[in-house]
Amino acid sequence: MSEAELAQLLAKVRAGDSDAWGELYRQYAAAIFRFCRRVLPAREDAEDATTEIFMKVRQKLGTYDSSRPFTAWLYKVASNHCWDTLRRRRIRQDLETGDVEALPLEHPDPSQIERLQAEHTGKEVRTGLAKLPDRARMALVLRYYADMSYDEIADTLGVRRAFVGVLLLRARHQLRDALSGGGAAGRATAGGKS
Amino acid sequence: MSHFDEMTGLLYLEGQIDADRAREVSAHLASCGSCRELLRVLEKEGVWLREALTAEDEPIPARVIATPKRGSAHWGWITVFGLGMAGAYTLWTGVVEPWLAQAAQGGFTQGSVLTMIFFTGAFWKGWDAMRSLMEFSAVATLAAVAIWLLRKQWQRFTTIAFVMGVMICALALPPTATAAETKRGDPSYTLPAGQEVKNDLIVWAVRTRIDGDVDGDLIVWSDRVIVNGHVKGDIISFANELRVNGTVDGNVRCFAESVTLSGSVGRNVTAWTGELDLEQGAKIGGSLTLGATEAELSGSVGGDLLGLARTLEINGSLGRDATIRAQRLKIGSTAQIQGRTKYTGWHQPEIMSGAKMGPIDVAIKGPGPNYASARYYWHQTLAWGASFLFGLVLLLIAPGFFFDAAQACKRVGPALGFGALFLFATPIAAIVACATIVGLGVGISVILLYVIAVYSTQVFVGSWIGDKLLGAGAGIGLAVGRLALGLAILRVLRMIPYAGPLVGLIMVIWGMGALVQAIHKRMRPQLAPAAV
Repeated sequence: MSEAELAQLLAKVRAGDSDAWGELYRQYAAAIFRFCRRVLPAREDAEDATTEIFMKVRQKLGTYDSSRPFTAWLYKVASNHCWDTLRRRRIRQDLETGDVEALPLEHPDPSQIERLQAEHTGKEVRTGLAKLPDRARMALVLRYYADMSYDEIADTLGVRRAFVGVLLLRARHQLRDALSGGGAAGRATAGGKS
Repeated sequence: MSHFDEMTGLLYLEGQIDADRAREVSAHLASCGSCRELLRVLEKEGVWLREALTAEDEPIPARVIATPKRGSAHWGWITVFGLGMAGAYTLWTGVVEPWLAQAAQGGFTQGSVLTMIFFTGAFWKGWDAMRSLMEFSAVATLAAVAIWLLRKQWQRFTTIAFVMGVMICALALPPTATAAETKRGDPSYTLPAGQEVKNDLIVWAVRTRIDGDVDGDLIVWSDRVIVNGHVKGDIISFANELRVNGTVDGNVRCFAESVTLSGSVGRNVTAWTGELDLEQGAKIGGSLTLGATEAELSGSVGGDLLGLARTLEINGSLGRDATIRAQRLKIGSTAQIQGRTKYTGWHQPEIMSGAKMGPIDVAIKGPGPNYASARYYWHQTLAWGASFLFGLVLLLIAPGFFFDAAQACKRVGPALGFGALFLFATPIAAIVACATIVGLGVGISVILLYVIAVYSTQVFVGSWIGDKLLGAGAGIGLAVGRLALGLAILRVLRMIPYAGPLVGLIMVIWGMGALVQAIHKRMRPQLAPAAV
């Protein structure tokens, strides 16, 4: 869908055209469902969240600034909703602020990382991702699924912008650790050369 | 510069470091193979992650694909909804309200159920006020909304424990109960003549005998209860046998195998019993509402009589109107009925000569429905409308749960198994819970929820039938269509002579099983994130 078509569609939705709303929903529901599926614990949660997110989208569409990409705004609404859901459940296991010191300063072994990439399928990566602490998982999904900027990630997760890089790198370490069978996905970082 | 660390590498790749630092890193990369290799692998890792996360690995559920069509209801559904509303309204004005008027005359004068639950807290004393279908619906809707709001929290056991704890505390500590005096029989309890309990009295005993006075309500669970003394409040009794020889200033509400009244009751009597005997000389100041197998009324009733019985014999006096549904009605020669008598029964009433009574309306109606009557089909249509409305509310309030329950019907074996178990075990558990003061509120709540659950079974089974016939297409509109069609088919099947009740029973068992499975699915702990 071109930008002009999307703008026209959004204008119709704002005017209360329910067919246009249906079209908008059909365009983006699958992507939002997959986003929720990556972030939330269970399929049912993702189904419910998708419905709820679109209800919010409909309510808040008036606040959308059309000079910004619509998908970015949509993922912002979705990520806020999912993060709130996780926070309400109080099953976040990680700490609010990270310790940069815990990250290794030296080079990891590139061949090991590359071997990990070669040995694991996308499905295994998603399985490993599901084992990560909420915030690490959320950070990776926001960055590599929703293509969010560091500013947007910082805003969603309520952390300083400078901390987003730490969060992402640590999440990568935790994922590597989970995939290599270290079973230490919950640890702050995979110490030493990964 | 020396080798940069992984963090710097990642930030450089993602364009997150300032220009000066970026120039330094670029210069270093030109001369350092090791750092170039690290950057290449990190970049590849980013691509690898992106591919893994954006993969379209599983089908999107039908209900997610379905467009939520708010505000665009098809005219057909508007008509169906209108019909449902009209059905509910007609049901209310044509059936419920006249019965409410009767019930009000029968002494059910307590205020709103909501007010009662939230402000007086006298849940267990006021359950009779559950007469109001609308109030009942309000409570049910409130409960449904609460369940919907809490459904995700319920995945955690501690929350369940907390919520249940709060409920138990809220129900077990009504202000009326705090003032009551509680007695447990050893094994029997007797309040001797001349003694007075200046409070509500709650008794559990094998045999209970009240010869003294109770300056409050008497609430009693006993095999045999005899009241010879004076109870200044109400009697609420669950007993095998209840005999009131003394004086009760308030109401008598009882569930018993046999009830004998030979004393006087100042206000009203409500009795669900096998056998009711209002002896000669006994007096009820208000109205009598009874559901009994056999009932003989030889005493006097000041108000109305609302009676449902197999055999009813009236030899005493009635101050006002009588509305009776019975197989047989006998009015003895000593009977005096001041008001109008409305009788619906299998056989013509036997009215002895000498009986003094006002006008009598007689409608003879055999067992089972009258298939020749248009009214029967109208009632069936109304019942369909009410069930459709209920299903619609459920669908709109908790669509996820609704779909889960309808889907659970597909697994016929487990649904029937669980359904049979819970259908019979739940009321038993609730009745057992009622035997303790703490459990009483919980027990009654469970019974209320059980009634709602039993009623909702038709919605799930109906939706499943509609699904089979119309296909599992996505969309709320289609879901509503499936529901309407399925409920209509069920309604027609249940109208079949002889087989209809069996269809109804299977439907309730099946739907109950599906409901239980859906609840289990929702409450299952899901602390570990699921693999995709």
